[in-house]
Amino acid sequence: MAIRANPKLITELEIYGAQDVSKCYHCGNCSATCPFSKEPYIFPRRSMRSLQMGLESKLESDLEPWLCYYCGECSTECPRDAEPGETMMSLRRWLTARYDFTGIARLFYLSAKAEILAVIIVALIAGAGFLLYGFSQGSITQYGGPNAFLPASSVHIFDWTLAAVLLALLGTNCARMWWFTVGRDTKVHVPLSAYVRKIYLLPMHFFTQMRYAKCEQKRPWVLHLVLMLSYVTMLVLIMFFLESMWSGPAVNWSVHAFGLAATAGLLVTTIVLLRKRLKKTEVQYQQSHETDWMFLVLLIVVVATGLMQFTLHRLGLETAANVNYVIHMMAVVPMLLLEVPFSKWSHMAYRPLAMYFADLKAEEMVSKEREAVGAPQAA
Amino acid sequence: MTFEPKIVGFLCNWCSYTGADLAGTSRIHYAPNVRIIRVMCSARIDPTFVLKALHDGADGVLICGCHPGDCHYSEGNYKMMRRYPMLKSLLADYGIEDERVRLEWVSASEGQRFADIVNDMTERVRALGPSPVKAALEADLAER
Amino acid sequence: MDDLKIGVFVCNCGTNIAKVIDCDAVIDSVERLPYVAVARTYKYMCSDPGQDMIQADIEEYGLDRVVVAACSPRMHEPTFRKALQKAGLNPYFLEMANIREQCSWVHDDPVAATEKAAALTAAAVMRVAHHEALERRSVDMCPNTLVIGGGIAGMSAALDLADAGNRVYLAERSDHLGGNVARADLTAPYLDSARDMLTERVTRVVEHPNIDVLLESQVRKVDGFVGNFKTTIRAKADDGAPVDSVYDVGSIIVCTGYKEFDASRITHYGYGKLPNVVTSFELEKMLRAGRVTTKEGKAPQYVAIIHCVGSRNLEFHAYCSRVCCMTALKYAHEVKSAVPGAYVSDIYIDMHAFGKGMEDFYRRSSEIKTLFLMYEKNDYPVIRKADATDDCDMLIEVNETLSGETIEMPADLVVLMVGMEAREDSEEVAHLVNISRDKDGWFIESHPKLDPVATTTDGVYIAGACQAPKDIPDSVAQARAAAARILARTALGKIDIDAVFAEVDEDKCSGCRMCNELCPYVAIEFDLEKRRSHVISALCKACGACVAACPSGAITARHFTDKQIFSEIEGVLA
Repeated sequence: MAIRANPKLITELEIYGAQDVSKCYHCGNCSATCPFSKEPYIFPRRSMRSLQMGLESKLESDLEPWLCYYCGECSTECPRDAEPGETMMSLRRWLTARYDFTGIARLFYLSAKAEILAVIIVALIAGAGFLLYGFSQGSITQYGGPNAFLPASSVHIFDWTLAAVLLALLGTNCARMWWFTVGRDTKVHVPLSAYVRKIYLLPMHFFTQMRYAKCEQKRPWVLHLVLMLSYVTMLVLIMFFLESMWSGPAVNWSVHAFGLAATAGLLVTTIVLLRKRLKKTEVQYQQSHETDWMFLVLLIVVVATGLMQFTLHRLGLETAANVNYVIHMMAVVPMLLLEVPFSKWSHMAYRPLAMYFADLKAEEMVSKEREAVGAPQAA
Repeated sequence: MTFEPKIVGFLCNWCSYTGADLAGTSRIHYAPNVRIIRVMCSARIDPTFVLKALHDGADGVLICGCHPGDCHYSEGNYKMMRRYPMLKSLLADYGIEDERVRLEWVSASEGQRFADIVNDMTERVRALGPSPVKAALEADLAER
Repeated sequence: MDDLKIGVFVCNCGTNIAKVIDCDAVIDSVERLPYVAVARTYKYMCSDPGQDMIQADIEEYGLDRVVVAACSPRMHEPTFRKALQKAGLNPYFLEMANIREQCSWVHDDPVAATEKAAALTAAAVMRVAHHEALERRSVDMCPNTLVIGGGIAGMSAALDLADAGNRVYLAERSDHLGGNVARADLTAPYLDSARDMLTERVTRVVEHPNIDVLLESQVRKVDGFVGNFKTTIRAKADDGAPVDSVYDVGSIIVCTGYKEFDASRITHYGYGKLPNVVTSFELEKMLRAGRVTTKEGKAPQYVAIIHCVGSRNLEFHAYCSRVCCMTALKYAHEVKSAVPGAYVSDIYIDMHAFGKGMEDFYRRSSEIKTLFLMYEKNDYPVIRKADATDDCDMLIEVNETLSGETIEMPADLVVLMVGMEAREDSEEVAHLVNISRDKDGWFIESHPKLDPVATTTDGVYIAGACQAPKDIPDSVAQARAAAARILARTALGKIDIDAVFAEVDEDKCSGCRMCNELCPYVAIEFDLEKRRSHVISALCKACGACVAACPSGAITARHFTDKQIFSEIEGVLA
C-alpha cells in the first residue's frame, strides 16, 4: 500500500522547532552515532525521513522520538547541520500536541503568546480564588490555627482535586498515546500477559532514567535525575505530608530535611539548566523553544516561592507567609494544570510509557520473527 | 600435463589491436595462449601468413579486424571477408579442422569481447588437440 | 646482414610488468638469439635515464637495431623512435614487443606470461633484423580549420583558432549558432544566464574577420590527409538552391553535440499522454518565457522532477548523461523562484554532484526545502492521474529507498530529465571524416585518459558532447584543447607524416591492374605507357590491401613486408 506524502507538514513542524530538517541528505551518521538507536528502533534518521515526506500517521504512531534523550551527539556529527537532535525534540513537541485531545497543547506550541496568556489567566484566577477563599473564612494575619487564612486541610483537598483533574487529562492523553503507538498497530499485537509481566519497567525508567545514563556525557543524566527525584520528593511530601510540612515554626526535621534537600536539588538544577540555555553551552541547549523557557521559569518561581514560604514560616512572619503562599500557588496551579498535561512536563509520563511500549513491541516482533523462521522461542 | 595450444593472432592496428590493449588497461584477464602480431589492416593479411603460421607449429590462427562498415581504411575488412571463405575451403582440403582458424570483428572499445574470444578459441583448439600439420611434417621428415 | 647487432631492452615498468613477468628470464632467452649483442632490463625504459641507457648502448655496442619489450607501441613507439634518432639511428630500426597491455596486465600465471613475453620479444628480434631505413615525409600544413557544428564547443574552438590569425570555416547544419545551450535559460551551479554566455560567443564569432560562418550548411565530402584536406560543403544559395563549395583545410574539429532522449519511449511516465508531464527542454522554454504553468495555465502547487530518463537504464542507455542531476537542482531553484509557494520534489537514483561548486549547490538546494526522494535503478516511479477529489493533478508512485516505504508523491507538473543521445547523423559524420563510434554512438577518442580530443585519424579532432555526455565547462575545455593541438601544428608550418606506404616493384608488376580498383584512396594509378601500376605515396595510407592482393607479389608494404611478418611468425612460435 502506497503512503501519500504530504510536503506541507514541514511548514507546520517548523513552528515546533524543526527548521533545518530539509538539509538532511540521509547519510545516516546520526543513527550510527546514537547510543540508543538499536533495532527495531533506529533513529533519528528514520524520523527525519518521515518528517521530510510528511507521513503524518506514521509519525503519530512512532515511539522513537521518546526514546531519544537529546544528548546532541547526532547534531554534532551531522555533516549538513540538519539538527537531528532538535528535530527529535520538535517531534516530541508535536506528538505532545497530537496526543492531547483538547487542542490546548497545539495552541501553546503554535503561539507563545497564547501560552503566556493562559498561564497569566490561570495564575490570576488561582490567586483570586485563594484570596477569596482565604478572606471568606480566615484572617490574612493568621498562618496556622482555627482562623488560618489558608488551612492545610483545605489546601490538601484543593491539591488532591487538582491532582485528579490533571491525572484525568494526562491519563486520557496517555491512553491516546497507547492507541496511536500500540493499540491501532495491526502488525504487532501485544498480549495482556506481557503488559503485566513487564509493568516493572514503568517505575524503573521513571525513577532511575537508566537509559539516560548510557549517554557518553554523564552529567546531563545526573542533572536530570536530581531534578526529577527532587521534584518527586517534593510532590510526595506535599500530597501526603502536607500537614507535617505546614507544622511550625519549629523545624520538623523528619519532613523538612527531605523538603530542604528537594528544594536544594530543584534550585541548583534549575539554575544550572537556565544558565546552560542562556549561554548555549552544549548542543542540546543551543536551540530553545518558548515552551522550554516557560517550563524552567515557572519551576524556578515555584521553588523560590516555596523556599521563601519555608523561611517566612520559620521566621514567624505570618502575613507575609500567607501572601507568599498565594503567589506560590499562582505559580503552582498553572505549572501543574497547564504544563503537565499540555506542555513539556507531559514527557514525564510519555517517556517511561514509550520505553515500556517499545520493549513490549520489540519482544513481540522478535517472537514473531522467530516463529516465522521456525526458531525456538526465547525462554 | 594439459595440452596448451599455441595460437597466432593477427590483429589490425586501429580496432582489434586497440581493443586488445583496452582489455589490458581494464585488467581483464584471459588465456595466455594467443600471441599477437600487429598489421595495419586485416586487408594486409595474406593467406600465406596463415599457412606459414600453421606450418611453423601454430595449433590455431585468430584473425581480427574492425566491424564491417567501421574499417579505418574504409573497406579493408571487406577484402578480408572475401578471402576468408577461400582460405577456409583450402584448409579443409588439407584436413585442418574448421575451428583452428577463426575470423572475428573486434572494435576498439571491445576489450571484454576480445578476452572472451581468446578464451573461447583457446578451449576449442585445446579440445581439438595439437595441430595435425606438425605431426604430418615430422612424419614426413622421419621418412626422408 | 651477418654483422648485424641487435640490442634488446626489457622494461619492468615499475611493477606493471615485473610483477608477473620474470624479465631476467626473458633476457636469458633472447640473448641466445642470433645477432643479439646486448640484452638488459630497466625499471622505466621510457624515462630519461632509460632512454639514455639505450642511446649509450647504441654507441657502445654499435647497435644497428633496437627491440624494446615494454608497453603497447601505441603508447611509446614515438618516444623510442625519437631516442634512436637522437643516437643517430634511423627511427624505423625499432621494434616494440607488447608485454604489458597484451601480457602482464592480462595474465595471472607468471610462468605462462613469461613464456609468452619471451616469444613476443623473440618475434620482435627476428622481425627487426629485416627492418629498413625509412625517411619520414614532410608536407605543408594548411593553417585553415574546418569546425563542424556551431554550438558552444564549435564556437569556442573557432575563436581560439581565429584569434591566433588562422582562417576557420564554421559549418552549422541549422540556421542559427548556439546549439543546445541556446535552448537553456540559466546554468548550474551558479545560475548564470546561458543567453549572456552565448551572446558573447556568437557576437565575437559572427564579427570575427577570420571566421566564415556557414549556416544551413552540411559537409558532404572530405578528401585528403592531415594538413591537406579538401572538404566539400553544401550550403543554400539565396534562391534556396543547394550550392557546393570546396575548402582547403589542414585540420577538422567535430563538435556536433547531442540530441535528447525521446521520453515517450518510457510509457510509465506518460509523456505524450499526460499533458502536464514535460521534458527538461520544455521546462527551459517556460523558464525563458518567465512563466511556469500547467497546461491549463495555472501555477503548479506541486512540481516533481524525475532523474535518469533514458539514462542508466539497460533498456535504453546504460550510461549516465552527466549533466542532468545538477540541471534538476537548477530547476528546483528556478521553479521556487518562479512559483514561490510551490513544493518541489526531486526524484533521483544517485545525486551526481561531481564538479566544482556542485556539492555546495546540492546543499543549497536542500536548504530551499526541496524534498528529495530516492529510487533504485530498474525500480522506476510510475505516474498516474489523481482523482478529482485530490488536491493535485497526478500522483507519482515511488519505491522510496531512504524511508523504505512506497510513497505517492503529489504533482501538478512533472519534469523528466531526459538523457543525452548520439545524434542520428553521427554515423554519417563518422564516415565522412573517417573516425569510429563506440557502442552508444559517441565518437571515439585516441586515448580515453591521455588524448581525449584527438582521434585515430590524424588531423581530425572531436570536442564536446559528441565525444560523450558532458557539461559546458568540459565541452569548452575540450574545444579549446583541440584548437591548441592544431595551433601547435600550424606553428610548425610543416608536418611529418609516416614513412610507411606501399611501393610497386615495376619489374615484378604484370600490369593486371587488380590493385587499382582495390585502393579505397584511389592512390594507385596505371601508367599506360609503361603498362605498370604505380602508387602515389602521398595518398597511400598503408592499409596493405593491394599488397595482399597482388598475384605477382609485386607490391611491398614498407615496414610491413612479407619477410618481416614471416620472421615475426617464426619468432612467436619458436
